[in-house]
Amino acid sequence: MSSGEGNIFRRAWNGFVDFFDERFDMRRVLREFADHEVPAHVNWLYCFGGITLLCLIVQVLTGILLAFYYEPTIDTAYDSILNIMDNVPFGVFLRSLHAWTANIMILMVILHMLRVFFHAAYRPPRELNWMTGVILFFITITFGFSGYLLPMNQLSFWATKVGSEIALEMPLIGTQIHAFLLGGEKISDATLTRFYAIHVVILPVTITILLGLHFLMVRKQGIADPL
Amino acid sequence: MSADKNTAEKLQEDPRAVPFFPDHFLKEVAVMALVLGIVTFLATLMPMPVGEPADPLATPAGIKPEWYFLTVFQILKYVPKALGIIWTFLIFPPFMMLFPLFYNSVICKWRYGRLTLHTIGALGIITAIFFTMLAYLGFE
Repeated sequence: MSSGEGNIFRRAWNGFVDFFDERFDMRRVLREFADHEVPAHVNWLYCFGGITLLCLIVQVLTGILLAFYYEPTIDTAYDSILNIMDNVPFGVFLRSLHAWTANIMILMVILHMLRVFFHAAYRPPRELNWMTGVILFFITITFGFSGYLLPMNQLSFWATKVGSEIALEMPLIGTQIHAFLLGGEKISDATLTRFYAIHVVILPVTITILLGLHFLMVRKQGIADPL
Repeated sequence: MSADKNTAEKLQEDPRAVPFFPDHFLKEVAVMALVLGIVTFLATLMPMPVGEPADPLATPAGIKPEWYFLTVFQILKYVPKALGIIWTFLIFPPFMMLFPLFYNSVICKWRYGRLTLHTIGALGIITAIFFTMLAYLGFE
């Protein structure tokens, strides 16, 4: 409440914070975040989850910028990538950053999981957080698979063809899963639209919700003690 | 069960506990800066090639999925397809999900449970790296 102390910048800042503090109890929320303690055994190995979050943020930012220029149809997808690479300012950098960070993100998820596995941090009361983590792992992998098709080059086309044909081997419902994945018998406009919707709408929404739960549970239960 | 929680009250009694801010936060920021540096370095000096446009009529030689699928891709070459598919998509994911319950009811009650678990984990990593290498080198 006291915005009378200090120089003009300090007073302006205090007034700004007071505004939100009076309405949303901001100081208590920020204090709660900043003042909580972590156990002494927490070391560099505990950073993989945080790096994964950083990668996700990079992916969202570069992904939005790429979505401005990418066109998800069979006829235009490849050319729109060429356009990004040749004409869009920083296009080469944005697309390369998106592709490289995708790989690093999956690597970090794997390292994060291995850290949790070998510390047995999934034991009670943290079973549910492990389960959300497993789902998040599969979501990340699906991000990779769906994003790989989008440039419509030889590599992405044939990797998707081979990958989706694996579904055909599933007993009883193989053909149905294959058709559901591709939106038909073979890779077409329907496939590309489908993969694009999965990549930029379904998965981002799902991962955001589950990550929220993941972080809430960590905050609520604290970091596990080693055995 | 609640004894396992590292709640604020419990940590306040521990003189070795460190504040999240700035101690641990700084560690995270340092590592994040390093990772941002690495991806920027890679994206700048090794930009992603656009590749040839997709041609459904011309199968390129040696098609491989992304590196994180290589283990499964390679193992599916050696086991009966249906069996491999059922294991990979129907048995393994639920088992992974429910693993903490299995740990809690069986593994942690057995004297050598953790040792066995860590051995299986380590063998799993070695197997994954081995099959990834095989796939990378293009073994049939």
